[in-house]
Formats: sequence, structure tokens, C-alpha cells
Amino acid sequence: MLQRTSCVDNIRIKQVTFASTLQIGDSRIINQFSRAIALQREAELFFGSEVNFSSYRAFTSPIPFEPIYEPVAIIRHNIPPLIKVGNIDIKGVSSSSSLHIGNSGHIHSEARVKHIRQLLPYGHEQDIIELNKLR
Amino acid sequence: MIFEVYNRELCVGNIIITGVASSSMVFVGDTETIQLASAFDTPAESLIIGPFVPLQSGVE
Repeated sequence: MLQRTSCVDNIRIKQVTFASTLQIGDSRIINQFSRAIALQREAELFFGSEVNFSSYRAFTSPIPFEPIYEPVAIIRHNIPPLIKVGNIDIKGVSSSSSLHIGNSGHIHSEARVKHIRQLLPYGHEQDIIELNKLR
Repeated sequence: MIFEVYNRELCVGNIIITGVASSSMVFVGDTETIQLASAFDTPAESLIIGPFVPLQSGVE
């Protein structure tokens, strides 16, 4: 039986973003999913919703998860039923990640990221100035 | 199979982490199952050199 108590004195965390969780206390099931298209252009020029997730294989290809089957009898002896942590200092938790203090049952998390960089052709770097004039 | 575990004293002083990202986790406690998956794609053809046009024309 899961019966240990987690004890954390201090938590210092700056950001929890994009389908992430900060869970203090026990949980039973955690399901997290996040997807992102990280489009980087040499100039600040974006057209809004210009692309579909389904166009890229990174978002459509299945991830083969093994079915959960554990025919093992586990006997736990939690002699001091306590997990003690002094300080936790984290800058950021992002993209389907989590910080969990306490016991849990089943955790399932998935993150998909497509990174695209778009640069101006050689000799056309000055076009950024022209683009800025148009804006 | 019988798996017998003796969890004795567990005491941690400080944990300092810069980032937890892309389907990762920091866990203080006990759990039964964990399934984490992450797909990251930045192939050579994702570097596009050319005029700035929308990635797909006509997508609303």
C-alpha cells in the first residue's frame, strides 16, 4: 500500500506553463498533452494561423506505449513512512511537465514540438529594414 | 514473482533545477505507473531560406 507522506519545507518556482501541473497532495490519474509549432523567422513577421498540426508527422505519428501489465506482487515496508525534502528551487515547468509532491497512481504525459526556422536569402538580409517600413 | 522492498529513511536537503520541460517530471512521493513521451522535430528541411511567405497558403 502506498502510505508514505511527502514533506517539503520550501518550494520556489517561477513559471508553470503549457499544460503543466504543480500538484501538492495525492492524485490518482494525471493525463497531460501539449503540442507546439515553434516558428522562428529572421524578421518579426507572423501571419496568424498559417499552419495545421496535421501537416507534420511529429504530431500525427503514433507513440507506441506498452500496455501496463505488471504481474509482480510488491511488498513494501515503509519503515519511517516519510520522504523529507528541504528546498526545491525550479525556474520553469513547461510543455506537459509536472512537479508532484505526494503519491499518485497513473501518470501519462505527451509533448510534441515542431521547430521551424525561416531565414532571408543570402544578400537579402537588408530586406528586414524594408519589411519594418511596411509595418 | 514477489518483490519485497524496505524503504528506510529518505531525506533530501536541496533540489535546484533550471527547467523541467517536454513531458518530464519531478516527483516527491510514490506512484504506480509513469508513461512519459516527447516528440521533437527539427530536421534539415525545417530550415527554410527564402522569402517570408506563410507556411501553408489558404489555412484559416
